[in-house]
Amino acid sequence: MAGLALACLPFLGLPAFYDSFFYVLFYWISLATSWSILSGYAGYFSLGHAAFLGAGMYTSATLATKFGWPFLATIPAAAAVAALLGCGIGALVFRLPRLRGELFALMTLAVTFILATVILNTPIDGGPGVYLSGVPVPKIVESQSGSIYLLGLATCIGTLVIAWVVSHSRLGLGLYAISDDEDVAEVKGVPTFRYKMIAFALSSGIAGAVGGVHSIYVGFLTVGETFGIAVPLSVVLMSVLGGARHWFGPTVGATLITLALFGFASSGQSILGRAVVALMLIVAVLCLPDGIVPTWLKRNRLAALRKMQAPSPSKSEPEPEAHATASGTGDIPKTSGAVVHPFPGKTEAPRVVLSVEDVHKSFGGLQALRGATLDVYEGEILGLIGPNGCGKTTLINMITGHLSLTSGTVKLEGQTISGLPAHLTARRGVARTYQIPRPFAHLNTLQNVEMCALFSERGASSAGEEAMHWLEFCGLAHRAQALPVELNLRERKVLELARALAARPRVLLLDEVMSGLNPSEVDTAIRLVRQIRDQGTSIVFVEHLMRAVVQLSDRVAVMNEGALLTSGRPEDVMRDERVIGIYFGHGHAA
Amino acid sequence: MPSFALLCQALVSGLLAGGLYGLLGLGLSLSWGLLRLVNIAYFALAFLGAYVTYQFGSVLHQSLAVSILVILPCFFAFGVGLHWLFKRFHVGEFGSLLVTFGVAVLIESMIQWLWTADFRRFETPYGSSSFKVGSIFVPTLELAAFLTASVLAVGTWLWLSRTYVGKALRASAEDHEMAAAFGINHRSQSYVLSGLCASYAGVAGVFIALISTLAPSQIWSWLGVVFAVVIIGRLGNPIGALVAGVVIGACEGLAMAVLSPAWAPIVSFSILIGILLWQPKWL
Amino acid sequence: MTHPSLDTKRRNLLSGIAGGLALGLGAANVKAAPTGKPIRIGSTLSLTGPLAQTAALHRIAGESFVDIANEGAGILGRPVEWVLLDDQSKPEVTRSLYEKLLTVDKVDLVIGPYGTNSILAAMGVAQRYGKVFIQSSMGIPKLGGSYDMQFPASPFGPYPEKDYPAKILDCVASLPTPPKSVTVLTSKFPSAQFMAEGMRDVAKQRGLQVPLYLEYEFGTRDFASIAARVKDANADFLWVGALGLEGNQLLEALKKLEYSPKLHFYLYPAPGPLLAQPEAKNVLSHSFFEDHPPFSNRVGVAKLSPMYRARAVKAGVQYTQLDSQGTGTYNSFHLLASAVEATKSLDDKVLGQWLKKSTVDTVFGPLTFNGTYNHGPDRMLVKQVQNGKWVVVWPRDVAGAKLNAS
Repeated sequence: MAGLALACLPFLGLPAFYDSFFYVLFYWISLATSWSILSGYAGYFSLGHAAFLGAGMYTSATLATKFGWPFLATIPAAAAVAALLGCGIGALVFRLPRLRGELFALMTLAVTFILATVILNTPIDGGPGVYLSGVPVPKIVESQSGSIYLLGLATCIGTLVIAWVVSHSRLGLGLYAISDDEDVAEVKGVPTFRYKMIAFALSSGIAGAVGGVHSIYVGFLTVGETFGIAVPLSVVLMSVLGGARHWFGPTVGATLITLALFGFASSGQSILGRAVVALMLIVAVLCLPDGIVPTWLKRNRLAALRKMQAPSPSKSEPEPEAHATASGTGDIPKTSGAVVHPFPGKTEAPRVVLSVEDVHKSFGGLQALRGATLDVYEGEILGLIGPNGCGKTTLINMITGHLSLTSGTVKLEGQTISGLPAHLTARRGVARTYQIPRPFAHLNTLQNVEMCALFSERGASSAGEEAMHWLEFCGLAHRAQALPVELNLRERKVLELARALAARPRVLLLDEVMSGLNPSEVDTAIRLVRQIRDQGTSIVFVEHLMRAVVQLSDRVAVMNEGALLTSGRPEDVMRDERVIGIYFGHGHAA
Repeated sequence: MPSFALLCQALVSGLLAGGLYGLLGLGLSLSWGLLRLVNIAYFALAFLGAYVTYQFGSVLHQSLAVSILVILPCFFAFGVGLHWLFKRFHVGEFGSLLVTFGVAVLIESMIQWLWTADFRRFETPYGSSSFKVGSIFVPTLELAAFLTASVLAVGTWLWLSRTYVGKALRASAEDHEMAAAFGINHRSQSYVLSGLCASYAGVAGVFIALISTLAPSQIWSWLGVVFAVVIIGRLGNPIGALVAGVVIGACEGLAMAVLSPAWAPIVSFSILIGILLWQPKWL
Repeated sequence: MTHPSLDTKRRNLLSGIAGGLALGLGAANVKAAPTGKPIRIGSTLSLTGPLAQTAALHRIAGESFVDIANEGAGILGRPVEWVLLDDQSKPEVTRSLYEKLLTVDKVDLVIGPYGTNSILAAMGVAQRYGKVFIQSSMGIPKLGGSYDMQFPASPFGPYPEKDYPAKILDCVASLPTPPKSVTVLTSKFPSAQFMAEGMRDVAKQRGLQVPLYLEYEFGTRDFASIAARVKDANADFLWVGALGLEGNQLLEALKKLEYSPKLHFYLYPAPGPLLAQPEAKNVLSHSFFEDHPPFSNRVGVAKLSPMYRARAVKAGVQYTQLDSQGTGTYNSFHLLASAVEATKSLDDKVLGQWLKKSTVDTVFGPLTFNGTYNHGPDRMLVKQVQNGKWVVVWPRDVAGAKLNAS
């Protein structure tokens, strides 16, 4: 690999300057790549990378000078200290949904300032700086600059390997999903807190290791130099320029910027040089808004697609009907352990699959749910209706675990799920769709569904096939490679359905899945929902379109003002005076 | 333990210094909150305005009014031009950070080219003046900066909340497509806002020239604090930026009066973190 | 035909010799322009970034040396070339650039950059290649002690943190009413803080009160609260470990509180701005050199002073007077050149040995390098603003004027 070739550099007898120059390059590549593991993949924009770099630098320096540790031993210690710092911040901050976006950026910046001030005013540095002249450089090769070069190279290769592994693993996929829509990711089974912590620990730990090596390169540490705004700003620029979501993006960005800066070091051109680099940056960003690597990949992908589609354009075909109209029932795997006796009132006593018991929810002074109680029987389709604001969506959010209960219990198959984090509830078999579809914007249709299959209880073993199967079931297979932005509303709603199904849920909660569809699309949707139930999933669907409610539901439950008003067969409920009253006012009671 | 008079003095000085933070942050807050564009170039623009003020005042011996008359329309035009660039190339939030960083470095290089890295000071007769309120000294220029910041903040807030244009901007910021469906012409209004933010940076620059000594590298020393001010004050909220600036300035001032001044950043940033974690309702 | 007699031959020979001698002497009087391969001396300076203002002065002084040398006989008759790179005020860049200078550009010799951080980074490289390393702005001498061939072009002496405060206090003790208390303020920039701690300790040893000792961050923008505390403490003497513009900022803040210190000292300020500020009357500061007698009579100043001024004006610098700061780089070149001329060698070991056992006449006075950390005794001065100019007021034997009391 390229790494081995680079490792031979010190032996080539080139002027030692190249050792230094490449070391600086590796330094920036490692820093930018480690930054992007959290901030690029998961979208948690951190301005505090200098804190971890500095923590690593000062840990190494202190251990080496004040405690006489051999230098190589200090580097893992530096990584550990920095990772601990990252985890500490993460533990505090990642649980608070309001601290995303720019607030997280600010938080990390604030931590940097605080750490810098602490180090500046305590004996760790105290002001005069820490001088490493007495620390012997580990003799990996003859020359000092060569040894440091190899340390830098090792760190860089390690970082790139970690980045590649992460971005191609379940962790990476989960992080990308978090970046697109964290709430949805959590509800689809991604353990968002754990993943963010891992990413942050990796990111900060690597920065700490880089700092450890760097302390001996610089030789004299001062707080001002270490904790300035230059490092956080630079890693952001390098990563975004090259493409922050791609594992190789920051490498490209770091290489370009470092080369440009060194190229203009000569004294006659220093000011001009800076200006030219700035101009290049502006032009690059304007022309390649996604970053260099992703744009280049996208162009290649489009070119390849165009080549593939040239012989037979498939766009003009009418959308294929949902797969289940064909008789191939052998293809459709049943949910394991499903009892296909959907209708209550049949010979076997219906089992309660989901029970909501006296659930209350208040937001500050506003009481959204006042003692809602509801049972969902196995294999039934339960329609949930009620006027706007009666608490239907809130109830769904609470069943999935997205919102916490103020009081009451929710049980799935007899086991309490209220109080569990949403991703565990999802694992147990609860899935939902969103009224306004919320697909992961950067993943294509197939990847969206694959994600949900991956994080379901079944896990990774057959996620790809699962995903394809459900896409075919829903009639969306021909759009597998399309990005969500390329889909129309109907297709996006069907994607929502496919994603929910990919997790093979026991209970599926549909939130106004018919809204915005034309009558023939509604018919298709009704057929689809029936087919889903026939496979053994119990369904609760919130709906305003009465035709669909009447056609689909085995039972209908009516909510009003945060509590259940009544439930029963659709015909009976529709004629109930109280129900008519809450929709039309009491004067209209027939 | 420092005397009460000392604490009051430190508090007053800190409050006024915070006014300048708010002024610098005004443009950044508005364009980030309402246009979804993180514009670092405002810092460099402010310093360009400061250098231009210096040039007109110190070298060409013109009155301050001339500087202001030149700066405001030119910067407005610059803001409009910059926004055109963003729109033309469909630049998003991250992209705007990079592009404006590049613009800031370009402006910094230009400043160093024209005025060298040497310190420049715009001397004015009222430069160090102050007046007394009881036993507290109130520095005149800082007070002027604070009042200007307040007027601009309140004025902008009124414009945003009372006028059609302002409301349109806020609607577009919240939900671009819906606003367009209602016929809100996002384009022309966003140009106006962009130009306005750039002019605000220019105004801040005039005060920087009056109050401090200038060097090109100082552009970056305000970045951290003003970012904090802008985010704490809630993006897009002009009064929030001012209040946050004042609070942070006051904390810094008091901290420097009581502790060793080198500890001051810990106080302001710890308070920041505390506010972020606890987040009281009134914020 | 008669043989030329022995006398004639001898006379011819003698006249030949005399003629040859005359020619030779004449040749020595005629200035030959330097010829041959240039001697290349490499270094970096922080031409961009926060330290750019002072680096600009160093650059001017250095370029002046090169011009003066090349107008004369160069070094060893060869022209001098200064390979200067921009380290952007960043030590890690400094390190790689010095590696480049030595291994790619293959310069013959190096001198130091500006600023303690960069100096240490460069010194490490010089040490690895066994290059003589002459630097002029490292305010903490003991940091240079780890390299045997590091030589200070600025005579801080080995223990400036003890010796200089003693000098300062001697100076102010000579006033009709010597101060009894001193407020010590300092930036946490390493070389300033280092001196401030010394100042505080020496003051206490001499029985002065220190009612206030404050450290502020390097880069503090707002001095209002600090000024309030200084005014509150109201000591007889205000000593500030200030760099750049911090002195000006503090004085402005004090003025807004209607307070003027009775006696004040600023350690390493930018020279120009303090002169211009009315509140800075009688301000004291540190120096190694000022452009007035007896210093202006020292070796090389007569040529350097006008050349420096001309270049400074062209560069757009505000303070164009030859100043202690930039002269440090001039002196670095001068020391290097003196060593090369004296030993007729470019071998760093030889140069280093020569420096260690020599006394070199420089703009900063006669310097030696055989003491601790390769320093000779210190030659630090105290200067004061008088009538819009900087004037040395201490030690008395080189003072240009008497110390003004306020």
